[in-house]
Amino acid sequence: MKISKAVITAAGPDHQHLPLQTLVSSSGDTKTVLSLLLDEAFNAGIESIGIVIAPGTQHDFKSAVNGHLEKVTFIEQTESLGFGHAVLIASDFVGSDSFLLLVGDHLYLSSQESSCMRQLIEVASQENCPVSAVQATHESLLPYYGVVGGKRVSGNPRLYEVETILEKPSPTEAEQSLIVPGLRAGNYLCFFGMHVLTPSFMEELARSSVDSSGRLPLTPSLDANAQNERYLALELEGRRFNIGEPYGLLRANLGMALAGPKRDKIMASIIELIAATR
Amino acid sequence: MLLDLITSEDALVRDQPLESACASLDKKSLLQECSQLDQFRRKSENLYDRVRALFFLAAIHRYHLPKKLSGEATGSIPFSGYEDLLERRFEKAIDTFLAGQDSQGASDAISSSLASAYHQLAFQTLADQVRKSVRTVRGNQWMFRMGHPANQPLRIRPELLEEESHLFPVLRELTPVRMDLTHSAWSDIFFLGMDYPEGARVINVSIDLAVHGRDDTPTPPVEAYFRVIDKPVLKLTSIDLKATAEIESLAEVFDFAKDYLGLLKAAVIASGIVPPGIEGSGESLADLLEQIVGPGHGIEIISSVNNIPKGSRLAVSTNLLAALISACMRATGQTKSLTGPLAENERRLVLARAILGEWIGGSGGGWQDSGGVWPGIKIIEGEIAGETDSEQGVSRGRLMPKHRVFDQDEIPTSSREALQNSLILVHGGMASNVGPILEMVTEKYLLRSSEEWAGRSTALSLLDKVLDALKQGDIKRLGALTTENFRGPLQTIIPWATNHFTETLIERAEAEFGDDFWGFWMLGGMSGGGMGFIVNPTRKAEALGRLQEIMLETKRELENALPFAMDPVVYDFQINQHGTFGDLLKGENSILPPGYYQLSVAELLRAKPETLSACERAELDQFANACRQDPRFTNSVQSLFDTLIPRIEEDQSEQGSLKELLKIHGFDSKQHEAIRRDLREGRIGLSQNRLPANTHIEDVLPEEITDFSQTSPSQDLQQLGQSALENGEVAVITLAAGVGSRWTQGAGVCKALHPFSKFSGRHRTFIETHLAKSRKRGNECGTSVPHIFTTSYLTNPPTQEFLNLQENYQYPGPLYLSPGRSVGQRMIPTERDLRFAWEEMPQQTLDKQQQKMRQSSRAALIGWARSSGEASDYTDNLPLQCLHPVGHFFEVPNLLLNGTLKSLLEERPQLKTLMLHNIDTLGADLDPGILGHHLQSKAGLSFEVITRRLEDRGGGLARVNKNLQLLEGLALPHEEAEFDLSYYNSMTTWIDLDQLLALFELERSDILADDQKKITSGIRKIASRLPTYITLKDVKKRWGHGQEDIFPVTQFEKLWGDLTAMPETQSKFLVVPRLRGQQLKNPAQLDSWLRDGSAEHIESLCQWD
Repeated sequence: MKISKAVITAAGPDHQHLPLQTLVSSSGDTKTVLSLLLDEAFNAGIESIGIVIAPGTQHDFKSAVNGHLEKVTFIEQTESLGFGHAVLIASDFVGSDSFLLLVGDHLYLSSQESSCMRQLIEVASQENCPVSAVQATHESLLPYYGVVGGKRVSGNPRLYEVETILEKPSPTEAEQSLIVPGLRAGNYLCFFGMHVLTPSFMEELARSSVDSSGRLPLTPSLDANAQNERYLALELEGRRFNIGEPYGLLRANLGMALAGPKRDKIMASIIELIAATR
Repeated sequence: MLLDLITSEDALVRDQPLESACASLDKKSLLQECSQLDQFRRKSENLYDRVRALFFLAAIHRYHLPKKLSGEATGSIPFSGYEDLLERRFEKAIDTFLAGQDSQGASDAISSSLASAYHQLAFQTLADQVRKSVRTVRGNQWMFRMGHPANQPLRIRPELLEEESHLFPVLRELTPVRMDLTHSAWSDIFFLGMDYPEGARVINVSIDLAVHGRDDTPTPPVEAYFRVIDKPVLKLTSIDLKATAEIESLAEVFDFAKDYLGLLKAAVIASGIVPPGIEGSGESLADLLEQIVGPGHGIEIISSVNNIPKGSRLAVSTNLLAALISACMRATGQTKSLTGPLAENERRLVLARAILGEWIGGSGGGWQDSGGVWPGIKIIEGEIAGETDSEQGVSRGRLMPKHRVFDQDEIPTSSREALQNSLILVHGGMASNVGPILEMVTEKYLLRSSEEWAGRSTALSLLDKVLDALKQGDIKRLGALTTENFRGPLQTIIPWATNHFTETLIERAEAEFGDDFWGFWMLGGMSGGGMGFIVNPTRKAEALGRLQEIMLETKRELENALPFAMDPVVYDFQINQHGTFGDLLKGENSILPPGYYQLSVAELLRAKPETLSACERAELDQFANACRQDPRFTNSVQSLFDTLIPRIEEDQSEQGSLKELLKIHGFDSKQHEAIRRDLREGRIGLSQNRLPANTHIEDVLPEEITDFSQTSPSQDLQQLGQSALENGEVAVITLAAGVGSRWTQGAGVCKALHPFSKFSGRHRTFIETHLAKSRKRGNECGTSVPHIFTTSYLTNPPTQEFLNLQENYQYPGPLYLSPGRSVGQRMIPTERDLRFAWEEMPQQTLDKQQQKMRQSSRAALIGWARSSGEASDYTDNLPLQCLHPVGHFFEVPNLLLNGTLKSLLEERPQLKTLMLHNIDTLGADLDPGILGHHLQSKAGLSFEVITRRLEDRGGGLARVNKNLQLLEGLALPHEEAEFDLSYYNSMTTWIDLDQLLALFELERSDILADDQKKITSGIRKIASRLPTYITLKDVKKRWGHGQEDIFPVTQFEKLWGDLTAMPETQSKFLVVPRLRGQQLKNPAQLDSWLRDGSAEHIESLCQWD
């Protein structure tokens, strides 16, 4: 399986400006969130990216892509009809290819040489099936994520066979159907905001129906896909920053800075700041 | 050998009864078997093997070994082992008692201690396992991990935050209750289901209910309401119990017995809103609520059971707990849908949470009790633990049973209607405590007692027949089967499942309806409360009315003998087809039941208007509109007015009648005020009852007693006694003035009139049993025996009325009732005495959650005592419940004062000896040998004592500073002293009449002349030399619909045994066999009393006609 396309969703009413925020990268450059995402994706072997945006935001997005404009396609979601809908309208862009799905309000920091996106793409190419990036997450954060239940693939401690996926489950539901053997008690595999999806998933998504609020969610189609074909989850060696959370951008900025060459300087500043405040 | 009964692969060997296996073993072999069993239970990893071994050991030490110990030393119980037992250190207690057995040899005393320790350890082991299983149910575990508000993963569903005009939507849960159509032979006890899943089966029907004549049509009786409020508090309201509270701290949520909101609190915890893991974290409830509902917001939960009386045996409280949990789970996204019925997996989760909630609340029902969550008619069965279950390797069965709901093809509508058209559900009104019954069932099951085991098998086969009859719609057959079940297996397993009230009702229903009475059906733990009568449908309408009348009439006849919590009621019911069901009330429709506003609006009106929140203002508006427009709110304004203005007049009239009573019964107000003053100033009280700490207490010397426990009195003595009996020189005095506080936990009924057990085919009262013994002795010696029952203000009129009704049981001899001549008024206890009783005196520590409940309830009672005024008069109850008898010392002087002795002497001038005994000392009879000994010894008073067992608490025979006397438990300088005393006072006393009169400085002529002045003066002199004890007694206050509260009250008493401290009484002491001297203080003793041969012995002493 070759993965050369990516889709970034950035049209949600509460999230559409988040990719445009700027921060200082690990290497010390000031960049937008979107630009950092694009850098990582192209470095991981992606050749073209479709960005799903809200109407009227294209101008701002164009100025935020930082030199990648020719490899980017903007797709307008005219109505805010859910995450699933945002992905579905990228169907023409992805065509019959498998693709990498990203969300515009997350940043990633790998703890190994290979970036988070590259780790995911490599596994998906190797296993020739859809793969979602996941992270073991404490149950107190269940209200924020899609959660995967399954079992470990033998021989690879970070790879899981997906059996069930639920969106923002209650801890009770999670304990009943999402426990993954081998994880610490009270921890679940939560989505990392990064998936490699296949054409069959897009077919499944096209067949699925909207929920009671008229929106098309993504998770039920992912769950249905898991029932129909081999679907894996990969626990990545890296960290995710959700810049949509309160202080999310600050945390992302600090995370990036502390992973770069200016680590000591940043640490000293933080300590100074702590000492100066009560 | 006995180990085979536990470990054998062969079910035939395993199911052998213990009693037959023990029958052929002598003392040495039994002790060897005990040693092997004890070693086995310490090593075995299988839970049920361990528990069976523990029950075997308890039974051997309780029933089998004592019979083989005649001629052994009396034995003493090591106090440190007793302390360990109280503190629930069972293993250590067992080791201490076993070491005692090794050093002193086997004895009745040590065996009684070991029996108790093994028994308690067995139940503790079982309870621990159930709790462990509840915690490990998937879906429950996370709640035990969560310890900080920031970790709370639950969020309120957004629909509940959509307010309209400051009114948040109300989530309403309507839940039916359940009835068990077969009576499961108690197979829904968790311990049974987990060991014998194949035998745990019930047919459980969800029903809507209405009180016949009060409510219009049957509706789901259980209602739970949930809504968001604009205050960061947890507001809980129980409409039926008229209790409401705004809870602001986590500690308060876990304080269950503080108020009547324990069940609601348990639901909040078991649903995960305030998860059990956060208890004791010191965190803020507001922070936790903010995490769930958002800043500045809180949660309100309201419960209602539409005034369905308590004790209905329809599992109202468990289904209410389930309804509350269900509403909380829906509201926090733990179920798929916010409204409508629940999915099967969600129902199972509600069941698991309800089990958890019951454990947290320190109560516990059966596993079928949440049956109302499911729809219609279903079979609930135990399930064998599978490989992935947490019970695997621990118990054979799973904690949670499986439910299969019958569809219309299996049980057609016509059958369901036929059942509805014939069955009449009632609440007989009796208050009963089923806890001891459930323990008995468990123990008998694990011992495989032969008759009971056969009974269980029969009950199981009857279930299939009942189900078949139900499918066929053959309700007549169904009635015959449920009756067969009640008459056969249920009473074989637990004879106490029936009682005189129930038997009378059945008899009268049969007489009234003849062939149209199709059967009786017992619901739940025991009869007397919730019951069913099955009649020909053509007579159902008539039967609804007549049964109500019959029950009421029967209750009126027996209400002084048996504890009733309320007047009987008849229900209308229909089968519920939905199970628990949720709906969302929005905007104008978000109205709560009228009863809610009686509590909440009254509070809002008392508050300053400027302090009301927007929601509270909106609620006042909503209520005002409802009062104008909603017919359900027709009388709401008047009721609200009543709530706001207490009804003073009624209280005054009750006080009036209390004053009257005090006057009639010879209340001494001067003495009362003196006691109050002394109490308040700390001169008297529980701690002052005790003798000084330096008092020297020793056990009696062998030469100071005469021992008839092993050998009978000589032929000469028997002849001497027999002659006295033949000459009519002896009379019996039965003390029946007390109300048997321990018998009914302060219900205030006459213990003497309680038909406590069946003898010769029917229930007999204590009075009838004592008369039957006197009748037999009288017939044997050819002279009728005069029999006197002493009574008090409370027991005299009902006893008189009862004996008239029974025509004195055709007793051939003189029969007197001696009315009491003195009465005290109960007082609110002092905090000092409550703390002394609960904190200083050794107490049986309860199981963890129950202990927490007890501590919480005691803290509330100390608060009650403080706020009501320590040592002030206790008046907040029925007037008769505010009085107390002043101790059994006065019951003999009363005979002198009230003319009873005069009448007796006139009738029997030759009278020389009186045998006095307690109403509950059933074995006391006019034994000629013992009488002969008393006569020969020339003693003024001969007291009978028995060897001590663990349960015999309350003093004993002691040398106090070298003087031999009966020492009351209240007077012991320290608890440990009692454990050095070998003998316990049975209270049975042989009295030399002339010596007694001389003690009071009287002669027979004074009595015959009824010289009141001289008699009173003589009694006063002696009474003033006896110590006055302050005691705490429990008294029940009944209110609402079958609700009962128990309060401790202070009273004082002078006790008969203290006469032994006066040298001039010439007291002597005899050791008598246990069967003669043991007392029945508590109904929970009845079963072992029946099993250990005591009942058989009593029967042998009686002649009923």
